[in-house]
Amino acid sequence: MKFRWLIFLAAIFCAVETGGAAATNDFFAQGLALDRAGQFPEAAAAFENSIKQKTSSGALVDLGIAEWQRGHAGAAILAWEQARWIDPFDPRARSNLKFARQAAELDEPQLRWFEAASTWLPPAAWLWIAGASLSLAAGALVLPGIFRRKKSGWQQTLAALGFGFFLFSVAANLGVVGRAQIGFVLKKNAPLRLTPTRAGEVISTLNAGEPARKLRTRGNYFFIRTESESGWIEQNQLGLVNE
Amino acid sequence: MAAQIVMVPQPQVDPSQFETVSATAEFDPPVVQPGEKTIYRVAVNATQNSIAWPDEIFAPPELRPGPAARGQLTQPDGTPFHPLTEFYYEFTAATAGRFTISNFVISASGSSVMVPEASVDVAADAATEPARKLLLEFSERNLFFGQPFRVRVILPTAQGNRLEALRDVQFNGGGFLTDRFVTRQSVEVVNLDGQLKPAFIYETVATPLAAGSLMISVQAFTAGNQSGGPPKYVLLVSDPLKINVRPLPTETELPGYTGAIGKFFADPPQLSTNRLRVGEPAHLKIIFHGEGDLTRFVPPMLPRAHDWQIIADNPPATGYTLIPLTDEARETPAIPFSYFDPAAGKYFDLTIPPLPVTVVGEGLPEQLPTDDDESESGAPLKLSGLAPTPGKTVASLKPSQLCDWLVILQFVPAMGFFALWRWDCRRRFLEAHPEIVRRRQARRALRGEKKKLQQAVKAGDAAGFVLHAANALKISCAPHLPAHPQAMVCADVLAQLDHAEQNGHTGETVRKIFAAADAQFASAKTETADLLVLKPAVKALLAKMEEKL
Repeated sequence: MKFRWLIFLAAIFCAVETGGAAATNDFFAQGLALDRAGQFPEAAAAFENSIKQKTSSGALVDLGIAEWQRGHAGAAILAWEQARWIDPFDPRARSNLKFARQAAELDEPQLRWFEAASTWLPPAAWLWIAGASLSLAAGALVLPGIFRRKKSGWQQTLAALGFGFFLFSVAANLGVVGRAQIGFVLKKNAPLRLTPTRAGEVISTLNAGEPARKLRTRGNYFFIRTESESGWIEQNQLGLVNE
Repeated sequence: MAAQIVMVPQPQVDPSQFETVSATAEFDPPVVQPGEKTIYRVAVNATQNSIAWPDEIFAPPELRPGPAARGQLTQPDGTPFHPLTEFYYEFTAATAGRFTISNFVISASGSSVMVPEASVDVAADAATEPARKLLLEFSERNLFFGQPFRVRVILPTAQGNRLEALRDVQFNGGGFLTDRFVTRQSVEVVNLDGQLKPAFIYETVATPLAAGSLMISVQAFTAGNQSGGPPKYVLLVSDPLKINVRPLPTETELPGYTGAIGKFFADPPQLSTNRLRVGEPAHLKIIFHGEGDLTRFVPPMLPRAHDWQIIADNPPATGYTLIPLTDEARETPAIPFSYFDPAAGKYFDLTIPPLPVTVVGEGLPEQLPTDDDESESGAPLKLSGLAPTPGKTVASLKPSQLCDWLVILQFVPAMGFFALWRWDCRRRFLEAHPEIVRRRQARRALRGEKKKLQQAVKAGDAAGFVLHAANALKISCAPHLPAHPQAMVCADVLAQLDHAEQNGHTGETVRKIFAAADAQFASAKTETADLLVLKPAVKALLAKMEEKL
């Protein structure tokens, strides 16, 4: 009887999962067809729907391409950065970012060493590495004693390596948290204001795709720091990588 | 009716006319029956502004005054210009007789001009023709504020079926506006008091601009085209008519109301193209139809649209030029419009609906020239192809590092190891100190025996009481030796007591308990029922022994 219930639940789970995947693929395939037909706004909308159902690096890469083709440099760069956030090894996202920054004469975001290190792997991987390495180190130290085994050199080495990885992954995790505050200007000539109000004095205008670091939020505005200046920008004009 | 001042553009005046300013005065008709109306007319060949006309005319008291008017005739077809101003007074003769308004002097163009006397004969048997008047007709008498209505001025044929046209038509009264550009003149046969007569018709459109009751009259000059002799221009006036004007309801007013009153229809809007680039204009053609006059139709106001720049066509066209400012625009903006239907007494929505469009953005390069390329390979940088598959997926872009529970989950194994290490330390400690374990076990066993002891007392089971009391004593002293509790004898228990207790009541109690317990193994049964009285002493002893554990 128990098995019957288990089989029933498993069947439902599979059906739901398969349905979601099919819908996602429908939007993705639709986006591909529309983009190839030159209907870029519609293609971008289809890729966005695909991402809403299941966030994937491929859909983000294609969304970036559709946005670029319809003239939205900021949205394109944000999409490719998000694709790299999911899969740092995605060659399309990497080459498109390089191409877009060169075409639009934009700089890459300035990263600190631990933030740069955090780009080597997907963000979630660093968390698992931290947990696993700490457990490995603790296990290497504790388990021989519990099992009344004599402590050996390799166990000590394993513990040391585990702690080493743990410490590095802590830095990388901090880097991920820091990178989560990086955003990209979405619209051309986005005004950077002195105060977080619509009537605030405009310090300068930012180019679409220009990177900025979000420092704090007030109302409908982000206080950001770009490479050269700081100021307030409307929230809908800055896309954060992790949103 | 008060005399009206007609404002007209001042034409060029012939200077010689100042030398020949003269005035004529007459009653029209000169003979009337009592109770009939007659018009006292004074014509001066000078401009109205140049005449200092007295406020009052001294007429015989038998002539009851009625409405008065004045008007100036312009003669644009004549050169040089000969002005003519006519003063109009309506009188009703009360009694028969001859009544005269004597001559008087006025000032005109800086010189004194004599107005000659004029007389009217009132006789009961006089054959008369009534004074000529204009007739006024309105298409509606109960109107809403701003509702256009048609006005007809009728001049029936004069005596001898002579038809005359009208000129310098002027409407008197306040709170309305007539449209001088929408006029129509015609000759029609009209029914007057049951008689069909040809008449000159002057039609125009008026619009009330004030709510309430409005009195409207009209005055005009006849065209003077009489056969033979010089033309004679006669100022005619109508009786005033009343219209009632109601204000428009404001509570139910719909968005986009621009003052359109009537019944209107709109053809489906036509957009010149539904696919356009950012900044590229498209024309939205809208055609309105309506019942009645559309000359004063005000097209819909421009809506505020974030994604569009909207330019209205020059009136009277009712189209719009739409320029998309972003490719995020998916449809043209809805243009709210409504009109008020006076027949239904309510507003109707005629909003121009949005039309779907595809806006293509400004193109960005898809490939950079080789010169701009700084890549090591030297190959031109270009946009990659589309990713054929969705690739790696994640549940959310929000990093797991910002989820507290997941971070804690990562440390659970390490915390498990720590707990295991602490347990191992404790285990090693207890291995080094077995007396702690023995005492703990003894305390646990003692609690069990005490419970059984209590049950035996409650049940009055003396044998059980003795057995459990002896066991409890053995358990409580075993960890001190150390030895197994079952190996304990009375002496071992006594050894745990001090000297005084051994020889006192406590020692005696121990001995009795053990003696009774040992006696249970004897062949002859001994009476143990009285041993239940030792319960308080045993309880106190066990409490003391437990403290030592």
